[in-house]
Amino acid sequence: MAGPISGSPRGPRVAMSREELRRRMKQTGGRGRKIRGLLELLKPYRGRVALMFVALIFATAASLAPPPLAKAAIDDGIVPGDLGTLDWVVAGFVIAALTYWGASYVQTYLVGWVGQRVLQDLRKKIFTHLQEMPVGFYERRQAGVLISRMTNDVEALDSLVSDSVVTLFQASLTLLGTIAILAFLDLELAALTFLIFPVMFAASLAFRIISADAYARTRNTIGAITGYLQETLSGVRVVRAFGQEPRHLARFRALNLKNRDANMTTVYLNAAYFPAVEFISAVATVGILIYGGMQVIDGEVTVGVLVAFIAALNGFFEPIQQLSQLYTQYQAGMAALDKIFELLDEQPDLVDAADAVDLPSPLRGEIVFDGVTFSYRTEDDEIVNALSDVELTIPPGQTVALVGATGAGKSTFAKLVARFYDPTAGAVLVDGVDLRRARTDSLRSQMGIVPQEPFLFSGTLRENVAFGRLEARDDEVWTALRGVGADDFVRALPDGLETQIGERGISLSAGQRQLVAFARALIADPRILILDEATANVDLHTEGKIEAGMRRLLAGRTAIVIAHRLSTIRQAGRIVVLDGGRVIEQGTHDELVAAQGAYWRLYRDWAENTAA
Amino acid sequence: MRTFTRLLTFLRPYRRGVIWSFVLAVLAMVATVAIPWLTGRAIDEVRDGDQDQLVTLGLLIGAAGVFRLLLTVGRRLVAGRVSLGVEVDLRQRMYAHLQSLELAFFDRQQTGQLMSRATVDLQSVRFFLGYGLIFLSQPLLTILVAAVAMMAIDPVLALITLAPVPIVVLVAFRYGKRSRPELQELQQRIGELTAEAEENISGVRVVKAFAREGRQLLRFEASTRRVFTQAMVTTRQRAFYQPFIGFLPQLGLAALLFVGGRRVIDGQLSLGQFTAFYTYLLMLLGPMRMLGMALGLAQRATASGARVFEILDRAPEIVAPEGAPALPPGSGAVRFDHVTLRYDGANRDALHDVDLEVAAGTTVALVGATGSGKTTLAQLIGRLYDPTEGRVLVDGADVRSVDVVSLRRAVAIVDDDPFLFSDTVHANIAYAREDASREEVEEAARRAQAHDFIARLPEGYDTRVGERGLTLSGGQRQRIAIARALLADPRVLILDDATSSVDASTEQSIKVALREAMEGRTTFVIAHRLSTIALASEIIVLEDGRVVARGTHDELLEISPLYQEIVEKGLPDSVFLTEKPRERKVAGF
Repeated sequence: MAGPISGSPRGPRVAMSREELRRRMKQTGGRGRKIRGLLELLKPYRGRVALMFVALIFATAASLAPPPLAKAAIDDGIVPGDLGTLDWVVAGFVIAALTYWGASYVQTYLVGWVGQRVLQDLRKKIFTHLQEMPVGFYERRQAGVLISRMTNDVEALDSLVSDSVVTLFQASLTLLGTIAILAFLDLELAALTFLIFPVMFAASLAFRIISADAYARTRNTIGAITGYLQETLSGVRVVRAFGQEPRHLARFRALNLKNRDANMTTVYLNAAYFPAVEFISAVATVGILIYGGMQVIDGEVTVGVLVAFIAALNGFFEPIQQLSQLYTQYQAGMAALDKIFELLDEQPDLVDAADAVDLPSPLRGEIVFDGVTFSYRTEDDEIVNALSDVELTIPPGQTVALVGATGAGKSTFAKLVARFYDPTAGAVLVDGVDLRRARTDSLRSQMGIVPQEPFLFSGTLRENVAFGRLEARDDEVWTALRGVGADDFVRALPDGLETQIGERGISLSAGQRQLVAFARALIADPRILILDEATANVDLHTEGKIEAGMRRLLAGRTAIVIAHRLSTIRQAGRIVVLDGGRVIEQGTHDELVAAQGAYWRLYRDWAENTAA
Repeated sequence: MRTFTRLLTFLRPYRRGVIWSFVLAVLAMVATVAIPWLTGRAIDEVRDGDQDQLVTLGLLIGAAGVFRLLLTVGRRLVAGRVSLGVEVDLRQRMYAHLQSLELAFFDRQQTGQLMSRATVDLQSVRFFLGYGLIFLSQPLLTILVAAVAMMAIDPVLALITLAPVPIVVLVAFRYGKRSRPELQELQQRIGELTAEAEENISGVRVVKAFAREGRQLLRFEASTRRVFTQAMVTTRQRAFYQPFIGFLPQLGLAALLFVGGRRVIDGQLSLGQFTAFYTYLLMLLGPMRMLGMALGLAQRATASGARVFEILDRAPEIVAPEGAPALPPGSGAVRFDHVTLRYDGANRDALHDVDLEVAAGTTVALVGATGSGKTTLAQLIGRLYDPTEGRVLVDGADVRSVDVVSLRRAVAIVDDDPFLFSDTVHANIAYAREDASREEVEEAARRAQAHDFIARLPEGYDTRVGERGLTLSGGQRQRIAIARALLADPRVLILDDATSSVDASTEQSIKVALREAMEGRTTFVIAHRLSTIALASEIIVLEDGRVVARGTHDELLEISPLYQEIVEKGLPDSVFLTEKPRERKVAGF
């Protein structure tokens, strides 16, 4: 277990390779970072943290009180027959119990409060950080992984922060307190009792480590079952259509049995461990009873001490088991923390320059590509040019259709205009300003983007249309909707503008989502528009609406359209044909067809196919 | 209560195990209870100064410990086996039942809902049947036996000191009951937070494009605040109940000191008996809490059980009569005999009085607007649904009168958005015929024009695809689905033409594949484009669930204005030049 739990990197290990040493050193360094990071997060709440510790000490002390009080009751009250003392002790007992209740309440509450606040801060921190990262960052990573940083990893920390920390302190304090009390009562008997410590601790830790594996296996196998269930339910049509139910039943049974076997291992482990713990406690009782009993008979120890010892045995096992349980939680939490800080340490590589200027408002909308090359590194470490030496001037108000096969560089072209990336060489200028010297906000607030999949946010239809201009009034929203021909369907919705459209606008049809995305771009009245045309076929009626809506949207602004439909391409003021990252042709549809070049060949192939 | 007793019937196959685990538990309990009693006796011997008796009692305690060790190990093994057996049975039964239910059932249910019944609810049922009964019976036994032992020593003292027990059980039960909905609400809010984060990460380009980072952060903050508020509700509950549950038994101990101490002084009780009392009370701390928890578990399992039974009690609607014959041999003649279908809960017919005869070996194109009934009509052939009125006949046999599996093996479907399983390409193509050799699979793939691109995949036919594998483009998935149907070698083939567009060369190869697939069988093509209509010898035009025209392309152009309109405006491809992009996880260009 080369885990963060093992202490210093310089252990008594033989022949540790330098690599291994370096790795371990690094791990230790990482731990420093993690602890510093955690303390940082706790800092704003230090008052409450301090208060929590005070409450914790009170609660633990109160929970430790009963055995010595019982001893006092027996030795000073019951045996000498002193009723007054007995009553005092009983009063102390009740006070201890009340203190325990009160202090535990305060402590549990504060831990929950601070823990949840810290998690909230951490989530916000990750979220803010993610939003600062450039678009390129997202392309290198799976969305699921990033989401899991904010959810699963933070939750792993949740149990560490709100559970483990308290358990760690409480169990340690209880253990130490019990040891102190016992040692105070009778050193010799205490020493005998402590003999079982290492046995218990080793057994518990071993059990944790072995069972962690076994439990991981049960989780994996149950995960497989859930996954299979999910898949065969989603694909139930295919299963039925091909009449393959018996096969899936057999396969499901196999997965089921695998899960049972994994579970059986944990049954074996538990059947060995828990009774063994009980057994050890019985053995310890016997040992103390016989040895201590002899001493009582010899008059060296009082009966009260003996009873207190037997009572205290119960208090031992719980903290030891709790502490060993922490191990796995600690590991999971630390691993999560590692991943979170790794993400937070990543610096955005596309930030506004210190002397960045605001673009003029309103923009005229002229775009110039001045010898632009954009290259990136592939997974195999090859450097690929997505765009090579593109030289292009788009006058204000023109619609440019980008045409070319997948990978020709169309979307890279569009992304450079939006400054999702910076060019590797050359410059992109808007109204004569190099985008690297412009404030990104001032660019994007005058730019509209319509992605191919019109991504909508859950919320009302109104919120989605007014996404770029929250202050927009209802009549402005309606004007935008009317502008793209979406007012009919919105009016027909049960709650009109206030209709909840569901996650990603799921309650709308594909064509309707497209229209909403148009309206969203239109209401922002951008000077520059980037539009990635959808390829999905929609029904006849909607198709016509989309075409009209798009025409309205493009009018009067500079537009770059990644075009797939002939009607769109035909209407563009200029067609730019890209191939392998280079501009190979440009002109209007008629010019390019007349030229009989690459565009003409593509057009001819398409026409033949359609006629077939 | 009905549900509860019904849940217990799942234990019937394991009654021997259940009985054994009870017997073992009771015996272990006796040993457990004996230990404090012996300890108390030992203390008295200590006071009397009898060393021999002390050692004997010590050894007896040790013996009781060993006895308990063996019994507990045995009990855990037996009980573990029972509970895992019940789990496997329950899950398998649920899955088998789901597989037997008709498709219409799945149309009405959200997959998420079904999943939650098949996992979460099943989990709480089997947890209760497996462990809950033990959790319920063991503490109960412990408390009872300890109470009896205490009564035997001193009934009055026992009544006084045991007074907090029912209160603790009740409070623990109440805590469980109150905290559950709050915890669920917390999970719900965390789920919303996750959705919020997910949406922002997936839609990051839109957020950036509109420079709306600040506003999205505000929304996210509101979500985190909602989580915090709810987390504090559960924290307050925990902060109140947990220490309270720990506090109550201490009162019993205090009462013991107060009353019991006096009795010892009065000589009514020996110090050893007093110690035994003290130890018993300590021993009951755990069981009291556990009993409260177990009562909560039982309550929850009953609620979950009700939801599980809701599914298990749902009788499958599409079943063949007992001993139904296989589909008679034939070459795939299909007849719709005045078929009407109305989906559950719909307010109009999806199909209305459709009367059609399609000769074996012909290819028919189904044409019509979205919602005109094309897909519904095709699904009736394989009896994925039953008509509300009328009959569907394949090779002269009413589909309701023959064995469903034999029927479905004779009918294959290629969906517009084909579903592939998370498995290799080979396994997906060989889906209908698991035993197919690699040669047969390759042959089918070749005929479906899929072999070339499959050969270029990283691991060829062994490449994993589907949800947890390589993502294929729509055109690729469709060709794999065609190969899958070809290998099944059905009498009747149903092709739902892709609604998503593909580039010109892919479209060309799909067309070749389709032509190959239609060879020698009856084919229904749900066509969205002119080029696929061209593959059919006859065209059927549907409108609002009725057949409005039937004939060849040229005939229909003359007689059907609807067909004319479709041909003129609807079907010519407007998509040009570019390939359909692969599905992306992040929306954008």
